[in-house]
Amino acid sequence: MTLGPFLLLAPLALAGLLALPVIWYILRSTPPAPIEAELPSLRLLEDVESREETPQRTPWWVLLLRLTMAALLIVGLALPVFAPAQDSNPEQVDAGPVLVVIDNGWTSAPRWRELQDAAEAALVGLDRDSSIHLLLTTPTALTNDPALPLSRNEFLSQLRSLRPLPWRPDRDDALVRLQESDLQPGRIIWVSDGLDAGTALAFANDLNAMAPLSVFAATPRGPFAITGIETDAGTTELSVLRARASEGGQVYVSALTEDQSALASAEVIYEPGAILGAAQFDLPAAALSRISSFRITGGDSAGAVWLWDSAERTRQVGLVSSDTTAQPFLSDTHYVRKALLPFASITESDLPALLNASLDAIVLTDIGQIPDDLRAQVDAWLESGGVLIRFAGPRLAAQGDELVPTPLRRASRAIGGKLTWEDPQQLGTFPDTSPFAGITPPENVTVQQQVLASPRPDLAQHIWARLADGSPVVTADRRGSGMLVLFHVTANPDWSTLPYSGVFVEMLRRSISAGKGGSDFDGTGLYTPALTLDGGGRLTAAGPAATPLEAADFATTTPSELHPPGLYRGPGGTRALNAATDLDIVPVEAWPTNIELLSDTDRSRFNIAGLLLSGAFGLLLLDAIIALLLSGRLALPRPRRAVTASIIVLFGTVLYLPVQSEAQTVESPELSKQAEAALEMRLAFIETGDQRTDNATRAGLEGLSMMLFRRSSVEPAEPHAVNPETDSLDVYPILFLGLPDSPQPLSDRAIEQLNSYLRSGGALFVDTRNGSSIGADADFSILRSSLEGLDAPQMVRVPEDHVLTRSFYLLDTMPGRYGDRPVWIEATGAGVAEERRGDGVSRLFIGDADYLAAWAIDNRGRPLFSVDGGDQERELAFRFGINLIIYVLTGNYKEDQVHIPALLERLGERDAPFLEGEGDAVP
Amino acid sequence: MYDLNSLRAEAERLAQLLPDPDVGVGARATLHHGAAGRRRSGLGEQFWQYRRYAQTDAADRVDWRRSARGDELFVRETEMESARTFLFWSDPNPGFQWTSNEDQPRKSDRANAILLAIAITLSKSGERIGSFSTGRRPGIGRSAADRLAEDLFTNQPSDPTPQGNAIATIIASDFYDAPEIWEARLHPLAKSCEQGVLFQVRDPIEINFPFRGRTRFRKPGESQNLILGRAETVQEAYLEKLAAQNEKIKALAKSMGWLFVEHATDQPAELASSELQKTLSHFGLTL
Repeated sequence: MTLGPFLLLAPLALAGLLALPVIWYILRSTPPAPIEAELPSLRLLEDVESREETPQRTPWWVLLLRLTMAALLIVGLALPVFAPAQDSNPEQVDAGPVLVVIDNGWTSAPRWRELQDAAEAALVGLDRDSSIHLLLTTPTALTNDPALPLSRNEFLSQLRSLRPLPWRPDRDDALVRLQESDLQPGRIIWVSDGLDAGTALAFANDLNAMAPLSVFAATPRGPFAITGIETDAGTTELSVLRARASEGGQVYVSALTEDQSALASAEVIYEPGAILGAAQFDLPAAALSRISSFRITGGDSAGAVWLWDSAERTRQVGLVSSDTTAQPFLSDTHYVRKALLPFASITESDLPALLNASLDAIVLTDIGQIPDDLRAQVDAWLESGGVLIRFAGPRLAAQGDELVPTPLRRASRAIGGKLTWEDPQQLGTFPDTSPFAGITPPENVTVQQQVLASPRPDLAQHIWARLADGSPVVTADRRGSGMLVLFHVTANPDWSTLPYSGVFVEMLRRSISAGKGGSDFDGTGLYTPALTLDGGGRLTAAGPAATPLEAADFATTTPSELHPPGLYRGPGGTRALNAATDLDIVPVEAWPTNIELLSDTDRSRFNIAGLLLSGAFGLLLLDAIIALLLSGRLALPRPRRAVTASIIVLFGTVLYLPVQSEAQTVESPELSKQAEAALEMRLAFIETGDQRTDNATRAGLEGLSMMLFRRSSVEPAEPHAVNPETDSLDVYPILFLGLPDSPQPLSDRAIEQLNSYLRSGGALFVDTRNGSSIGADADFSILRSSLEGLDAPQMVRVPEDHVLTRSFYLLDTMPGRYGDRPVWIEATGAGVAEERRGDGVSRLFIGDADYLAAWAIDNRGRPLFSVDGGDQERELAFRFGINLIIYVLTGNYKEDQVHIPALLERLGERDAPFLEGEGDAVP
Repeated sequence: MYDLNSLRAEAERLAQLLPDPDVGVGARATLHHGAAGRRRSGLGEQFWQYRRYAQTDAADRVDWRRSARGDELFVRETEMESARTFLFWSDPNPGFQWTSNEDQPRKSDRANAILLAIAITLSKSGERIGSFSTGRRPGIGRSAADRLAEDLFTNQPSDPTPQGNAIATIIASDFYDAPEIWEARLHPLAKSCEQGVLFQVRDPIEINFPFRGRTRFRKPGESQNLILGRAETVQEAYLEKLAAQNEKIKALAKSMGWLFVEHATDQPAELASSELQKTLSHFGLTL
């Protein structure tokens, strides 16, 4: 329904306006809600007759407000749309059925929403009953019949559910379909992507011959397609196509990993007038191998994505391991494996298995003889395009076989050994014919030993690399379409320092790509679609219409419904079919003069339903405030005070905030805390979040620090409260944890940090503080829940004569706030030896006697809590604390003292052996 | 709202502000020291009488100094002494555990603090103090004050039933129940205990009735409610009724020979505690 320039999408909702008088009547007679009040002396009012007056009338302006609100709501629900364009072409209304032609290929995707709006706006002003026909130019198996008449609503719902398809429109096919359908349209509206001038102009002329044609052309504004990729040794270059060769511009292309995170991005800069630009990526091979696709930043069509398949990326390399040594760094294969890892996927097995695994290359390290029965197989594999890389070594030198690029001498040459005159040789420049050409020979690579090639006339053409003195280091020979490569040194650093060098990686990489490469190996085989791109450029599971593709056809296939662009999985890995491969289309620059061009303003419509509804909501809020005021719940004088107060607070915050943030920028508290702790030794405790416990713990540590300061040479600074999740713990010698009554379990991250702190030599003192419970020996079940995941060693009670009892004071008991509770420490010898702390000092202490409370002092040095047994026991508690800290700080240094009785006993047994020079008998 | 500790703290504070009945020579002469003579022989320190030795008396009870003056044997007897007992009761009604304003203490909190302060002062001068709760006997000293605090705080019977022979009873409530109910409640007490104080603690809102507009009234602890279209219209009637209620309660107190002390929670607690003590010392003089 239309009302002037307004279009009502749900006009029936206006019937709600009839309800307004009823609303008015109800509002008028409902009194405001009463104030709730409690009154104990209510009995006195029981017989006061309840003089309930007729309800107070709602004030007229409140009524008006509420009625306006209801009216706005009802009109808003009628979904009004402001569409001034609808009157522009009234004379075409009665011409007959309207045909809407839509380009729904991926080329429309960048401006798809505008295309939809344009198609919808084209209908505005049409008679309600006139039938509409829809023709989609992108071919699908189930094409819709353009002769099928649609109502306006059917058309709109179809239009809204349309999505661009990931292949391109075929306008000739669409025209054939239209002609076959015998539809005689009265008017045609073509919503076009505005591309591909070749077919577009002919199509427009044909349509215009059938009926008056209006065209809306939504040419992509920016670059919209990646049309190709070039890779060579160092760089990867993408061609990026844009629609209009306007002035210069720039755009970015991102390289994405499999999980769609950006690894790198490159800028494409267009020359004015050019439609093709290039994006260059200079990425190391390791990073390159992680890239799975490229995408134009902000591009949202199938063509803006370039999928990069495994065939172009990683090489399949087999590694034959000759020896399985227990010393991996001396193993040949270790260096080869490390060098290959960044750019190749490695299979390690024995030779027969590798030959059947369709690999790009096989590496043999110092294998003297290849068995004769395998020899034929290896030759066949080489002929078919494989690369066999062999490394020399003592075995090859002693008893090599014939499978080498050039015959070898039966000996190896040692250069720069103790018995030779020469110095170790450096690598010379690489010959121009070698694939290694272009690599700068490093100066720090030296060769001490090598196998020597027999001199022959054709030797020179087999040489890929030579030493400074000219003797070959790498030789190669083409066998069929494959390549046989021999490194005349070992793959481990026995003979040369080459395996240490970065050049080794590059040399291996280039050697491996010397063959025909993996893509040719899987020249046969069927690839089934695994993930396909949708029109918007997102990867989705392949649809049912997608069919497998023959490997050989990848280069020639244009994406269609049967073969949508995406990733196909087959025997040789994953291969990609890209939407815009070698795309070469130009936008339509000039449309024929006899067709009507719809501009962007023709699709301008303004939905005002939301505006009305939010207005109604605003009034609702206003009404709530008024209702509160009227019922007396928001007393008037008070809000004024509250408002002024809040204004003051607001201003205060505004004034205060900059100051605070400045302070934060001047010195980062996190850093300074860590630095403080690193500069001065101090105790620290883990904050539990329970204020009382934390305060007690802090006071306890202050007390202990003061006692340490007074009595020992340990002079700790102010204790720190630490949060194990965020703070760095390693700067503290010991952490205390006083558990509150119902502790929150520490987070996984905190436990992980604590574990690593304890492993790297930290100590943790846990005080469960429940030692007052009578009867229970020690109830540590609380620890299980709050410290779950802490890798606690086996714990024992502190044994008699343990260092802890005599590291500073000689102690018999270790009381805290509660008398004589046991302390548990790590059992001696518990756990694997290397996991234990350096000196065998316990890393975990657990007690329940509330030691921290016993140590706690206030800021004037007076004790805060009572202690069972009074000052005497408090003194003992302090002594225990001092012993604990000294033990943690000095380790088992004092343990020797523990052994003095045993030493003295021995001295007594043997008559003063030290005096007689038999000191070495003492352990 | 008080917890037990803050109740104790407040009571101790009030008790310190109260004049100590032990202080002053004059007071010492007139006031009893807790232990009061019962005017018959029994356990005590004051001499009461000599009586002739009987066969049932143990030999060491013979007062040799007196007996030496004649031929007969005499036994020395002392006057029986016992501490006086003060009983306290605080209304457990939910309407009494209530305050109109979170900044003010609840009526019961205020009443409990003052009762406890009085009790602490009394126990310092050696009196027995106790509550009406079953199972605990009135006692002497600090522990009795502790027990009383707990009883006042948690454990008050809804009706104070007569217990033993107390010298005085102090009843704290807002006295909003019907006067007949109070009469039925207090008369048995008055029979067994001559002296008593009715200590009324009220909230200022109950005294002033400052409500305006459409208001729904509810009694704490009860679900029924009363809606008044314009509360200000009944204010006058309410105040009249409140005054009438108080008159009836005062008349009841007078009829029993008890005294009546009023207090509102917006007044300082010290005022009420000193007034209450003054009222009690009035008993001390008449005794």
